[in-house]
Amino acid sequence: MDQLLQHLVNTLIMGGTYALLGIGLTLIFGIMKIVNFTHGELYAFGAYMMYFFAVILGMDFFLSIAFAIVAGMVLGAAIEFTLLRTKRGADIDTTMILMIGAWIVLQNAEQLTWGGIAKSVPSPLPTEPLVIGPISISYLRAMVLLIALMLIAGTYLVINRTKLGKAMRATFQDSGTAALMGVNISAIYTMTFALGSALAAAAGALLGPVFVIAPTMGDLASLKAFAIVILGGLGNITGAAIGGFILAFSEEIGAGYISSGYRDAMGFLIIIIVLLFKPTGLFARSERIG
Amino acid sequence: MLEIRNLVCRYGKVTALKGISLTVPEKQLVVLVGANGAGKSTTLRAISGLVPAASGGIFFCGQEITGMSASRILSLGIAHCPEGRRVFPHMTVLENLEMGCYLRSDGKEISSDLDRIFSLFPRLAERRKQVAGTLSGGEQQMLAIGRAMMSRPKLIMFDEPSLGLAPNIVEQTFAIIQSIRESGTTVLMVEQNAYAALDMCNYAYLLEAGSMVLEGPGEKLINDPHVREAYLGAGLAHA
Repeated sequence: MDQLLQHLVNTLIMGGTYALLGIGLTLIFGIMKIVNFTHGELYAFGAYMMYFFAVILGMDFFLSIAFAIVAGMVLGAAIEFTLLRTKRGADIDTTMILMIGAWIVLQNAEQLTWGGIAKSVPSPLPTEPLVIGPISISYLRAMVLLIALMLIAGTYLVINRTKLGKAMRATFQDSGTAALMGVNISAIYTMTFALGSALAAAAGALLGPVFVIAPTMGDLASLKAFAIVILGGLGNITGAAIGGFILAFSEEIGAGYISSGYRDAMGFLIIIIVLLFKPTGLFARSERIG
Repeated sequence: MLEIRNLVCRYGKVTALKGISLTVPEKQLVVLVGANGAGKSTTLRAISGLVPAASGGIFFCGQEITGMSASRILSLGIAHCPEGRRVFPHMTVLENLEMGCYLRSDGKEISSDLDRIFSLFPRLAERRKQVAGTLSGGEQQMLAIGRAMMSRPKLIMFDEPSLGLAPNIVEQTFAIIQSIRESGTTVLMVEQNAYAALDMCNYAYLLEAGSMVLEGPGEKLINDPHVREAYLGAGLAHA
């Protein structure tokens, strides 16, 4: 029982960042119909930016997180502006191949810039874990969860409460009619890609100090983000948030009770099961982004 | 108010409009009739800036609008109520209306316009928090009209407003369009229901395979033998 409680706490902590990754990817797919293979690289980029600001420049830890998120947003906007803008109206296969190319280029650029040796970012928080009864939580991980939840809530508010969010939802539901209402569809696409990228970078900046930062860290993050999006139903933000926690839970339980060597496999096992019985994802019928 | 001169539009190799000209005078209701695929919707889409013109010009209030962005054309005062209503299905009635004034930032005026739409369409007022996809076809049409009116247009274009609606709702829709014109807004309407459209308009154009073949006041087209045979189903027209 105590062990289960600990697993549930761990689920919450990983689930928060997984949800961030998934929401970013599902937002881009839902609004732009682009399968974004660079998502994991934006995650890695966020982690490296965290290293750059916090370790190399020696900036404040929390300020570095904010800067890394902004850097991810800028890189996302740049990718959209240079690669995708010229391919408006191209079919999904074309943009998919383009994004696979961008993924390879970004990953190698990371290796070239930072070298192949893993980097780590020291945490400014106490290393002694917080012990509550049978559960122990490191301060760093609790902080990761808190910031992730704040970012998820912020994204939700932007989409549901702002004029930009309303334009994004209108574009998602019917881009032709949104254009008739005066929405600049091209600008909405750029902002969507930038927002999705910022969320991936945020996940990287948050998990970078928890684990280590390496050039290939984005690959697994990409795979997991796709798994989360498939779980939640394509284009479904709430679904992606819940999918993130489901993936974290299945990994935790699988690693804890079956074998820790299969931690990363557990998520994919869940995906296979979900797709066998509900190919549209768990929440496809519930409310979508709009 | 609106003038089109020798407009040519192409979709790839297909020429949808082969040099059409059309004039919509201020405060009038002008109708564009024709068969499916004649180029009626393309004409409206070209005016809205959604389809580029290959050649020719579109002028609105003396200003050339050919090649302008859709948002620019909307802000100059042309609203487009698209075919099939196209309300945002997962948004509430209120949010749909707010999308109609997306380019406006005059908050106070917007809320008085919202009140006006709600008093014009009490059904929408009752359902303002309801998701638009769950409205009936007639209610969706009212919402689409209200949404187009929220931009405070000088010219409002309707694409097949009667499509897929029950006969009594069609009648109601035409009455609303008539009242919009009476309140001083210019109307350009594309309609398959040729008899009703010709009966209510000031002036009409007949489009066939991308070319204007006939124009004149509504009665002229109603009494034209070709129109009677091809579009009104001769003999049934006055039944």
